[in-house]
Amino acid sequence: MTDIPVIYFLWVSAFLFAMGLTILLLKKNTIFVLMGIELILNAANLNLVAFSKNDPSMQGLYLSIFVLVVGVCEMAIALAIILQVYRNYRAIEVDQFKSEY
Amino acid sequence: MSPLVIAFLVLALLTCGSALAMLWTKNLLHAALAMFLTMLGLAGLYVLAFADMLAVAHLLVYVGGVLILILFGIMLTNQTDPATGKNHLMTRESNRLLPISVGLSFFLGLFWVFTKGPWVNNLPVTGGSKLREVGLGLLTEYAFPFELAGVFLLIALIGATFVAKKHD
Repeated sequence: MTDIPVIYFLWVSAFLFAMGLTILLLKKNTIFVLMGIELILNAANLNLVAFSKNDPSMQGLYLSIFVLVVGVCEMAIALAIILQVYRNYRAIEVDQFKSEY
Repeated sequence: MSPLVIAFLVLALLTCGSALAMLWTKNLLHAALAMFLTMLGLAGLYVLAFADMLAVAHLLVYVGGVLILILFGIMLTNQTDPATGKNHLMTRESNRLLPISVGLSFFLGLFWVFTKGPWVNNLPVTGGSKLREVGLGLLTEYAFPFELAGVFLLIALIGATFVAKKHD
C-alpha cells in the first residue's frame, strides 16, 4: 500500500523551498515575493504531511492544517498592506519604498 | 515501478516544473498561473501521502482563495506602461547570480541532509485514509487550537478589510 518512500517527498519539498527562497531574493515585485513565501510555507507543509504518513498519532497533519490557516491569514493581511503601500507610493517594487523622514 | 510511484513522479514533475516556471518568468500573471499549477500538483502529492482532507482544504483555500486574492492584488496595483498605456506586468529582477547561487546551495544542502538523515528507512508504515481520525481529533483532542484558528482567521480577515480601506 505505502510504496512511496518518505525521502521522495523530502526531495520535492527541498526543491520547492529552494525555488521559494530564490524567488524571494530575485524578484523585485512585492506580490512576486509573497508568492515565494507561499512556496516556502507549502514546502514546510509537505514535509509535515510526509512525516505524518508514518506517524500513527498524525501530529504533523494537524500542524499542517493550522499552517494552512495561518498562511491564508498572512496572505490576506499582506495583500491589504501592499494595497496601502501602492496608494502611498504608486509603486510596489521593494527597492522603491523610501521613508520621507 | 508501481503505479503509485509513477503517479508520484508525474505529480512531482508538475509541481517542480511549474515552480521552476514561476522562477523563470518575469510576467506576474504567468507566475500566478504557474502557482496555480504548483498548488494543483501539491494537492495531488498530499493525496499520495494519505492526507486527503488536507488536499481538499488546500485546493479550496489556495485555488479558490489565495489565487483570487493575488489576481485582485495584481489588478488593483497596476503599473501603467508609458509606451502602450496598458498594465505593465513585467517585474524587474535583481542580479541573478547571488539569489540563484543561494537557492542552489540551499537545495543541495537540504538534499544532502535529507538523504543522509537517520530517519529514512526505519519508519513504521501506516497506510490508508485518515479522514475519520482527523475529524475526531480536530473536535476532541485539538478542539481548542481548532477554535482558536477560526477566531484567528476572523480577526485576520476583519483586520485585512480595515487595513485595505481608504484612510483619510
